[in-house]
Amino acid sequence: MILVIGGSYQGKTEYALKTFEEVRFFNQAHLFIKKRLSEGRNQDDIYAELKAITSDGQWVIIADEIGNGVVPMDEADRTYREVAGRILIELAKEADEVHRVILGIGQRIK
Amino acid sequence: MITLVYGGSGSGKSAFAEDLVCKTDYPNRYYLATMQSFDEESDKRIKRHRSLRDGKGFITIECPVDIANAIIDKDSIVLLECMSNLVANEMFREESPKTFTECADKILDDVKALSKKADSLVIVTNNIFEDGLSFNESTKEYMRALGLINETLAKISNEVYEVVVGIGIKL
Repeated sequence: MILVIGGSYQGKTEYALKTFEEVRFFNQAHLFIKKRLSEGRNQDDIYAELKAITSDGQWVIIADEIGNGVVPMDEADRTYREVAGRILIELAKEADEVHRVILGIGQRIK
Repeated sequence: MITLVYGGSGSGKSAFAEDLVCKTDYPNRYYLATMQSFDEESDKRIKRHRSLRDGKGFITIECPVDIANAIIDKDSIVLLECMSNLVANEMFREESPKTFTECADKILDDVKALSKKADSLVIVTNNIFEDGLSFNESTKEYMRALGLINETLAKISNEVYEVVVGIGIKL
């Protein structure tokens, strides 16, 4: 599995599409995490589901980095930030490659 | 020797910083904890961090303000966790908060004094600057202070890392 991360509107999808061939894409993984949290699911559960979905064949998971801001006032927003961060760390550990995209420029960081 | 570790919330910066410390063989490992507990959520955060440190041989010193006063033996490495809490504690400790430059000067002086006591100092600090939202004046003052401190620490540090999804990138 390959992980592509970066802030929003940084050209992650375009970068992934032109860089990786013969793969399947799981885009906007952060929003998937947010939706599952709103359904009352926990971190381990969501991570297991993501892993199961992407277990077959070569996948590229694309996600926003959302932790680089002021601590949100709303508790659900804080939980989302924390859980999304923790899940991305676990995915990065598992990944064969991690790429970070800033200004459309991708850097392989693993 | 000062090492600066920078990253967002949930970036894995603490675990990365602890690994850096654990790769060294200083006889004494100190953990200066700046976070104060005032509710269940901060209790949970503190407990999570404590369990991460378990078995790594850290001596924990609770130090919400005035880090220059921490008592550190020689032959030591100190992990200061984290700057964002320290700035909040220092800035809002009195009824009339300090200006951001006063606050930054005070903390930077304390860091310099602390780094003289320890052989090696690892500082964890936070990236809170990239959500593009606007905030009230007191939050902005806090952001200015933390921004100025981060920038100055990066200048006086021997090594600076940004942590992204648990991966340390040397800057």
